[in-house]
Amino acid sequence: MVDPVAIARERDLELAGRAASGERAAQRQVFLEQRAHVHRALYRILGSNREIEDLAQDAFVEIFRSLGSFRGNSSLGRWCQTIAVRIAYVTISRRRPPTVDLALVDDGLANDVDVRRTVQMREVARRLYAALDRIEPKQRIAFALAAIDGRPMAEVAQLTGSTMFAIKTRIWRARRELMRHAARDAVLSAYLQELSGGES
Amino acid sequence: MTRDERLGTPPIESLSDTSWSRIERGVWAELDAQVPERPARRARRWWLAGGTLAAAAAIAAIVFGMRVNSGPLALVDEPSRVVSGTAPSAVLFGDVHITLDADTALVLNREASHPVVLIERGAAWFTVAPRAGRPEFIVRAGDASVRVVGTRFRVARLEELISVVVDHGVVDVQFRGAATAVGARQLWSSASPSHVTTIASAALPGPAPLSASPAHRTENASALPPATVPAPVTVPAPATPTLGPVPTPAPARRTPQHPARPHHPRPAAPLAAAPTDAPTTAITPAKPASHGDTDRVEYDRLAALEPVHPEAALNGYLALARGAGSWVEPALFAAARLAADRGDSRATKLLERYLLRWPSGANAADARRLLARLKETH
Repeated sequence: MVDPVAIARERDLELAGRAASGERAAQRQVFLEQRAHVHRALYRILGSNREIEDLAQDAFVEIFRSLGSFRGNSSLGRWCQTIAVRIAYVTISRRRPPTVDLALVDDGLANDVDVRRTVQMREVARRLYAALDRIEPKQRIAFALAAIDGRPMAEVAQLTGSTMFAIKTRIWRARRELMRHAARDAVLSAYLQELSGGES
Repeated sequence: MTRDERLGTPPIESLSDTSWSRIERGVWAELDAQVPERPARRARRWWLAGGTLAAAAAIAAIVFGMRVNSGPLALVDEPSRVVSGTAPSAVLFGDVHITLDADTALVLNREASHPVVLIERGAAWFTVAPRAGRPEFIVRAGDASVRVVGTRFRVARLEELISVVVDHGVVDVQFRGAATAVGARQLWSSASPSHVTTIASAALPGPAPLSASPAHRTENASALPPATVPAPVTVPAPATPTLGPVPTPAPARRTPQHPARPHHPRPAAPLAAAPTDAPTTAITPAKPASHGDTDRVEYDRLAALEPVHPEAALNGYLALARGAGSWVEPALFAAARLAADRGDSRATKLLERYLLRWPSGANAADARRLLARLKETH
């Protein structure tokens, strides 16, 4: 019986080993395979691409420095995202990142029937991340990955190196803080209700 | 908010290929800065096992009068990464002879049987035997891809600026969806991707002489910047008259003092001078140059010069900005941006002058941001 998980693990270990030994072709393969995952994790936490180039570079440098310690306990993708989350945490702990700007609607969108919805989404995202800027980084990361990105609690716990209980607590506190900030913002308040599965 | 009005998850805006290219280059640069550069593991193993063969190949090259008249010549398998030190060096990759400039890094690989060389940085000459049914040879550098059926040519990369010079034969350069055929004694640059410049034979930069020892620094090698391009001697007109200048190379990273690249109008028509995919033999025809074309070519030349000789580029931009026509505005902004990058005290005045003349210009927003940043720091 072929175990696809075991095969994937062997493949990850082999690739990580070659990359850790300095083989540039293997490093490029890791970079190309993982960049979308790393970008997704960073984007969800930060809310925009404004600082992503620097952070993605830092994340990959850290990934390649640490690849020798990869033991295959999780997938290589999950392991790389763990590092990306750590990089994001260090960044937002040191300074508050700027909030995302309200982007202009380009011509293609202007003709779209869903343009109102798109603009509304962008405005809500801007307000949401502006509010997230004001809460504690660990709470922000847990909320961004679980409530916004929809990842399971167990995965968020693994990515952040925390317990499930800690993650649940952080999300609850983050939501409470966000609701407090959204007390006079009906749009954000409604969106937070949506994220928590409720209806206004 | 009702169920029908649910917004869902905020979308993730993807990063451009150029951004990823910048990130990748930055990653390798940081990693290389920590560990002394050297060929990849497999290549090193080969050197240990096949030193005799490499020496024999070098001797054969001398005996049979190849261009490699001295210096080491190594056969490399793939995938390999080859990095030249302070002196040029040469390798054989299958039936392709590659002469690397000093301080050049290449990754040699094979994709679906095609031999592929990725230029991480620097420049190299490639002598490719006629393929005659064999898979075509591909060189990638940044967003540019050069496909070859049999020729001798040079590809140089400095940050995002790519240039291709062809000695003989024809290559097909693909760049951001457009393809351009570059023929013998012609130069293509990503600073002006739809434009091919004819150059004199004497201006073709030949491979730098190989030193007997890779560690040996020859005068010629040190005098040859990795991405220098020969000076154009004729000035053909652009394929599309409405074509604006292509922005100057993007800053590598961690350069918050840089403004966004100058904005220039893009042509509505496709930039391609030749059909995509299959290698073509048609050469982009040269047309008589007009005054505006001359300014445009000068702007492109300065953009290419900027990473190598920024002071000369700055003076060139200022001279162009003193003229008339549609190129005054981008030239003045480019001068201001470059001055700011270099910490030149003229930057503020240049930006203010730009905003006074073009308060709603194509680069006005960038100019305001840069000016505000300069005033913050002073």
